[in-house]
Amino acid sequence: MSALLKVEHLKKYFNVPMGINHAVDDISFEIQKGETMGVVGESGCGKSTLGRTIIRLQDPTAGKIYLNGEDITEAKGKDLRRVRENMQIIFQDPYSSLNPRMTVEEAVQEPLYLSKRFKKKEILEETERLMDLCGVEERLRMAYPHELDGGRRQRVGIARALALSPEFIMCDEPVSALDVSIQAQVLNLLMDLQDQLKLTYIFVTHDLSVVRHISNHICVMYLGQLVEVSPSQELFKNPMHPYTKALLSAVPSVDLDHPMKRIVLKGEITSPINPKPGCRFASRCPYATEACEQPQELKQVDNDHFVSCCRLKEIG
Amino acid sequence: MNNHFLEIKDLAVEYTSDGSIIHAVNGVSINLDAGETLGLVGETGAGKTTIAKSILRILPDRSAKVQGGEVWLDGQELLGIPEKEMLKIRGNKISMIFQDPMTALNPVMTVGGQITEAISLHEDMKLNEAKKKACEMLEMVGIPAERYSEYPHQFSGGMKQRVVIAMALACNPELLLADEPTSALDVTVQAQVMEMMGRLKEKYNMAMILITHDLGVVAESCDKVAIIYAGKIVEYGDKEEVFRHPAHPYTKGLFGSLPSMNSDKPRLSPIPGLPPDPSDLPDGCAFGPRCPQVCDKCRKGSIPLKELSKQHACRCMLN
Repeated sequence: MSALLKVEHLKKYFNVPMGINHAVDDISFEIQKGETMGVVGESGCGKSTLGRTIIRLQDPTAGKIYLNGEDITEAKGKDLRRVRENMQIIFQDPYSSLNPRMTVEEAVQEPLYLSKRFKKKEILEETERLMDLCGVEERLRMAYPHELDGGRRQRVGIARALALSPEFIMCDEPVSALDVSIQAQVLNLLMDLQDQLKLTYIFVTHDLSVVRHISNHICVMYLGQLVEVSPSQELFKNPMHPYTKALLSAVPSVDLDHPMKRIVLKGEITSPINPKPGCRFASRCPYATEACEQPQELKQVDNDHFVSCCRLKEIG
Repeated sequence: MNNHFLEIKDLAVEYTSDGSIIHAVNGVSINLDAGETLGLVGETGAGKTTIAKSILRILPDRSAKVQGGEVWLDGQELLGIPEKEMLKIRGNKISMIFQDPMTALNPVMTVGGQITEAISLHEDMKLNEAKKKACEMLEMVGIPAERYSEYPHQFSGGMKQRVVIAMALACNPELLLADEPTSALDVTVQAQVMEMMGRLKEKYNMAMILITHDLGVVAESCDKVAIIYAGKIVEYGDKEEVFRHPAHPYTKGLFGSLPSMNSDKPRLSPIPGLPPDPSDLPDGCAFGPRCPQVCDKCRKGSIPLKELSKQHACRCMLN
């Protein structure tokens, strides 16, 4: 099986007045076709930057991105346009990602027009099909975004992303701004679309129960680096990195019979500006020793399960 | 004859906007004893924050109007007393923690100064003493007192929320209204803040109303829970009762919509449709149009909150 998307040693640094912000620092992974890779982490850990860099909204500082085996890291002009038709993004905030002066119909049609591949009649048919596919009612064709609730706006955002039949979709916190009952509707829609259209997702979120629900594999990110990569079920059954453990234990559970033993961390996420070479979690880690000041690397501990921690054996 | 520390009776609040009347809160009754925590759960626009704001009487004068009801705190009715009296209670006996710590703090005033201000308004203290108290409060929420003279922008989100909590607790309130206190925070920080709030609540034996949309937070920190839908309590009771035997279809729907951390659900069972327009509520049960078990009885008149057991009540014709 070949990977649909492959990322190798991807880095994205930003120059800021205080130094260099290592937002994404040496990240490698691959995703098989039709699968979902969840990326979890707290605000400021670089998960959105990772997603945006992969779909080339920003140029990476270093590293390679392959889509269907083709190196798209340096794609420009016509090439980039072609590549972009094949990878799209769904944004977090459906309130600001739609143009307030475009009707629903215009928003969904825009990518079709821009691709210049469709005749007028085809565009109308396509619009109808896409709206139907994403559960946007026909009567809303002429509505403006402010007339829609959050769930419907997100459906329009999804219809727009699907317009050019991409294989890969980058979902950047697509349900975080929605109420639970609406969130469940949109999650179901995304999973149905994946089944029907064999889509491949990267699903960036801070909500762990959502990511467990939708993902096949999960990357846990901390300050620009991956600390653990594992199949979804395995990660929740057997979290290994101290940060993953604390993160999972911090999620409030509705299950009264199995309250989780909570690991309350000291302090907060530190700054990714000019980080020290060692483990970036060490300052908050209950198990940190001097050995953690050395650079860490992601090591395979089990089939498909990778962890970046030098004290794994001691922690158990 | 008021046996409870806080008693809200039949509270109704309306907003007027563009000539239409929005029924935000429609007859809500809540009882709370000292030291108890009530979770107020509901979706955006259900009226949770409006309830808290009407207890404190900080609704916008021009657009909001309390149409009826009483709020009794410790034997005193709050809705009828003059504003001058209310000033003494607000921030003193009752405090509120707002949802967004980024906007709840004054950006051009030091964090210490803001806490000191709250203290000197309510307590008969010299400025020095008030400052000392403010430093103690900062230490209590885990912020070193040296950071007294820093400004809000120098703090992270979690620390700002701690400052807001320190300010709310500075005058030892007997009732704390916490409006989504951790929704803007990351989970590991949320865990820290919730743990701290639980400790402080116990220390001061405060009553607390915790407004949230997160059932997990309720499960871990509340004694009672009220589920709000379209400005009405649809289910009310002991946390254990409500979580183990949810009775209202809306409550069941909320649980069905949650992805689980422990078990595998291939598909979620969301609640179909959308919450009703609060300016045009349907006759009968407001949840009726989205309810899978709706019948003719649900479509007419007002549906009473029926007691299922001593600790559990539900507003549904099916029970």
